[in-house]
Amino acid sequence: MSTITAPSENTTGEQAPARSGAPSLWRSLALRAGAVVALVAIWQAVAMARVWPPVFVPEPAAVWEQFLRTTGEGVSGYTLQEHLLVSLRRILLGCLYGVTGGVVLGLLIGMVPTLRALLGPLVTFVRTLPPLAYLSLLVIWFGIDEEPKIWLLLLAALPPVAVATADAVRGVHEDYLNAARSLGARGHELPLRVVLPSALPEIVTGVRVAVGVAYTTVVAAETVNGVPGIGGMVRDAQRYNQTDVVVLGILVIGLSGLLIDFLLQTLDRRLVPWRGRT
Amino acid sequence: MPSPETEPALALAGVSHSYRSRGGTVAALGPLDLEIAAGEFVTVVGPSGCGKSTLLRLVAGFAAPSSGSITASGTPVTGPDPARGYVFQQHRLFPWLTVAGNVGFGLRGLPKAERKARVTELLELTGLGDVGRARPYELSGGMQQRAAIARALAPGPALLLMDEPFAALDAFTRERMQEEVRELWRRAGTTVVFITHSVDEAVYLGTRVLALSGRPGRVVFDRASGLPYEEQPRGGQSFAALREELTEVVRLAASAA
Repeated sequence: MSTITAPSENTTGEQAPARSGAPSLWRSLALRAGAVVALVAIWQAVAMARVWPPVFVPEPAAVWEQFLRTTGEGVSGYTLQEHLLVSLRRILLGCLYGVTGGVVLGLLIGMVPTLRALLGPLVTFVRTLPPLAYLSLLVIWFGIDEEPKIWLLLLAALPPVAVATADAVRGVHEDYLNAARSLGARGHELPLRVVLPSALPEIVTGVRVAVGVAYTTVVAAETVNGVPGIGGMVRDAQRYNQTDVVVLGILVIGLSGLLIDFLLQTLDRRLVPWRGRT
Repeated sequence: MPSPETEPALALAGVSHSYRSRGGTVAALGPLDLEIAAGEFVTVVGPSGCGKSTLLRLVAGFAAPSSGSITASGTPVTGPDPARGYVFQQHRLFPWLTVAGNVGFGLRGLPKAERKARVTELLELTGLGDVGRARPYELSGGMQQRAAIARALAPGPALLLMDEPFAALDAFTRERMQEEVRELWRRAGTTVVFITHSVDEAVYLGTRVLALSGRPGRVVFDRASGLPYEEQPRGGQSFAALREELTEVVRLAASAA
């Protein structure tokens, strides 16, 4: 391959999927829409059959009504949007602290053998605990306001990032380090100039896992004084047997989770364009 | 203190290297005594497992020899240094940087404008003028290795160490790259140590051709050659003769191992 042919190969390589990409995009969208319609249809059929009373299986229409009501006049004193935004803010803060802490901790564990021996088991210990197990402790320590919730999400988000970072840091190919050092990079420059960027693919994957864990944890975090908050809303609705609000809450959590994961995937493609290509 | 002019570009004294494995200590290399003068293009061939890559990594400072000493232009080798550029068998370009970013990696000390000019110059020199903004994985194998060479040349090393840099390339690209490296060396005058398992490549490129024995690797063949100075080295009678001789040496070394 020569200097002249290689770039032109690249451009044709990029155009080809774009041309065939348009119809397949529509097809996958249609497939997804079809799956949703089918699911709602089954749900409607089950609800209409009255095998179980509506308090167990509410009709889709009832959930839709609740959606209109909660976005308008609200439920438990706040609108659905407010509940969701408060939960998202908690997730964002918890993940921000958790990811930052996880990357720093992972770097240290991965690069300093003494710290690995000291902190490695601790991180694994916290990772295996279900968040609800230490929620009570956090409530005793930090009360029932925002603090324990943010701490809970932090503790849930930190271990996956720390473990992924530590593994990636230990797995950095030594020739990247050798190359950097023979190009004049000093020892103290290596973590930022080589180790961290080469560990980036695993770190970003760790962040996706962490955000997922934080998402599943937020409902648990909001079982104690969680209003406003989507978890608090679901909890309240459960107390009053408002099954349609519970289902609505579940749908909102699931859909917003999908959206956030999509955003993270986009971020991944931006940050790690070389994934799987080296 | 003797001036660097009179010092050999590279001197190895009693260098040997061994590593521990389950079966005990394995002697991988040496003892070796070797002096390389500035401006030489030294090619090293040998059967696989003879420690030729180990030799180069010791010279680069990636590892310390079990015994003996290595000095480059009079300075003891204690670790990697920009005075000794390294080109790996797999290009090992940093995937998170563009091609230009990779070439500029070793130029951090320079002011921005100067660095940019130097990167452009090196990209032009290696025929990568229009792909500076591409990512390494977007290039063909030959272009990746050219970028790796440009990156290694950036800090202006006195010694360029190349570890089977063309082993992963197809035959056609490989021959082109050999020509380009010969051209680069003739223009820049950098001292080169070039490891290869191809006898043909060693004879084509080397102003001095070394062969190592099987493990532990020792120098069993050391010949100065004028071939790289010729216009068409492959055409002549002496090319065929040296290749024949070297093939025989490597074959013997391999069967003895």
